[in-house]
Formats: sequence, C-alpha cells, structure tokens
Amino acid sequence: MCDSCGCASPVEEDTHTKTVDVNESLFAANESIAKTNREHFEKMGAVAINLISSPGSGKTTLLEHTIEAIGAEFRIGVIEGDIETERDADRIRAKGVPVVQLTTGGACHLDAAMTHKGFHRLQKEPGGDKLDLLFIENVGNLVCPTSFDLGEHYRIVLVSVPEGPDKPVKYPKAFTSSDTFLITKIDLLEHFDFPVDEAKAEALHLNPRLQIFDFSSKTGENFDAWLDYLRELVANFKK
Amino acid sequence: MHEISLVQGLFQQLAELARQNNMTKVVTVTMEIGPLSGVVEDSFRFGFDILSKEDELLRDAELIINSTSVIYRCTSCNTAHESGNQRPDCCTQCGDSFLIAEGGDELILQKVEME
Repeated sequence: MCDSCGCASPVEEDTHTKTVDVNESLFAANESIAKTNREHFEKMGAVAINLISSPGSGKTTLLEHTIEAIGAEFRIGVIEGDIETERDADRIRAKGVPVVQLTTGGACHLDAAMTHKGFHRLQKEPGGDKLDLLFIENVGNLVCPTSFDLGEHYRIVLVSVPEGPDKPVKYPKAFTSSDTFLITKIDLLEHFDFPVDEAKAEALHLNPRLQIFDFSSKTGENFDAWLDYLRELVANFKK
Repeated sequence: MHEISLVQGLFQQLAELARQNNMTKVVTVTMEIGPLSGVVEDSFRFGFDILSKEDELLRDAELIINSTSVIYRCTSCNTAHESGNQRPDCCTQCGDSFLIAEGGDELILQKVEME
C-alpha cells in the first residue's frame, strides 16, 4: 500500500499524477462579467458602445462633438479608459455629461471587471443613473482591447487620416471584431495620401458586416451621418 | 502584451484546480490557441515562462500549445476554406472576396496534469 495516501498502488510506482480536463476559455471569466455588464446597461436602457483605436485617432474629440450635437436629445454618459491621468474625463466633464475616468496603471486594455467598477461609479455621478447612450472609450491601442468583451452592444473602431489607410490589413482583429468603422479627420485628406474608398474596401474584405462612416469631427463634414446612425441605434434599442 | 494578464488569470485558475484536487505541483498545462484569438503564442509562452519561475506550484511546468485553424466561409456561395492563419484573398469556387471567419478565436485551457 502506498504510504503517502493509503491507496492500493505499490509504493514504487508513481501514480500520484492526475490529469484534469478543463476545456474552458481563458476569456470565460471576462465574458461572464461582460454578460453581467450588458444586463446592467440594458436594465438602465442604455446602448453601450466600446470605442477602440490607436492613441490620437480622435476618440475624445469625437465624443466632445457628439455630445455638443445630440447631448440635448439623449442622456449620454462616458467611461474613459487611459493608462494615466484624468485629462480625457476633464474634457468630457466640461461638456456637462456624467463621466468617470478609469486609469489602468499600465494595462494596455480595459476588461469587463474594470468596466463593471467604472459603471457603478458612473451611476453615482449626477445624471449617471439614467442614460440612453453609454460610451466606453478604451485605452488607445488597436491590439489588446480587441480580445476583451466589456459588455458593449456595439464595438466601433476609429482610424484617422494621418494614420494611413492600411490599419485594417495590419490590425485585422480590430476590424473583424467591430460593428462599425469610422474614418476620422477627413479635413486632413488634402495633406495625406489616404484613399478612402480603398481603405473602406479593405475593411469590408475583412468584415463584410462593417458599417463605415468617414467624417471630420472638427469641421462637421459628413458628421450628420454619424449622428443619424447613433439616433438609429438608440431608436432600435428602445423598440 | 495582454498575454501577461491572461497568463496571470490562468495561474489563478491552476492554483484553484490544484487546491481542489489536493495537488502541489503542475506538470503539464495544455492550451488550445487559435490564430484569431488575439494572442501571440510566443508572447504567451514568454509570460508563462517568466511567471512560472516565481511560482512554487508551476516552477517546472511544461506548456503545450495546440494551434487550431480557421474556416473562411464565402458569403456568396457558402464554400468553406480551411486555413492556418492566412486569409484567402477570395473564394476559390466563385471568386467573391467577402469571406467570413468562423472559429479560430479559441484560447482554451484543455487539461492540466498535476501531482
């Protein structure tokens, strides 16, 4: 009898290894929290949008101009994700909507657990307990955020004209996992080589379901199409 | 480098499994990683090697990675193309360039051998 555990095996044989079949995704824990987040957002009646892009594509500027344009139509709230500082939240707060800043302290993406905490903090902000539109601005990064569901209803990826048109080919997952693709800063098209139609075609090649808009938040060119799209998302959600 | 945080999550799960099964050492960890998981195998392995050195339970553990493939399905004629990680330019049957990926996004802990 084995003297370690009392089993019937002879002591010479190594029978103390055990193989456990797990077959569980490493994303399972995140996905389970994401599901809870989605339920929270729906209970409040808010459409949740996860904004993903490289740093400097104009996510915060997009939000500032969106709030200015339709802030009176819809109750908008924002969860800001950055590695450091409250700067983006300060810019959004200046527009008069509830906002919380999540600082990841070095992490390259938001996950569902951080979003969960951020959402409950947002609910305690004045006006944060009842929203129609919740924007979650992810950490500027086209790679890591794509692997983490935050519980959003729509994932939107941005590329600005100065970044160049080849982002869809270089960072495919950001585009295959998104619902919508925004080409921003089109007021700079005359200064950069950015064939808009080619970029759109390459993105659609990766993900035929993508909805695509190109506009300038700054000059307002084509911005109405984006606003109408948001109106449609909210209207469909309230049905 | 979100691979590091995924490895940290994996190690928490392994510690829990070892505790439940009264085991003190992890011998092998078998993972399934798809080309569209957003996880770079080399980075995952790097994170595993670095973090396992600091962990009594995992110090000598071996990481086995099984790669999976992706099915690219044509949106016009429904033809399925199996691929490692290279997306076909267009459908081999009808030439349509709109293909939708199915699967390939796995990041699965398949099994753990412990002692």
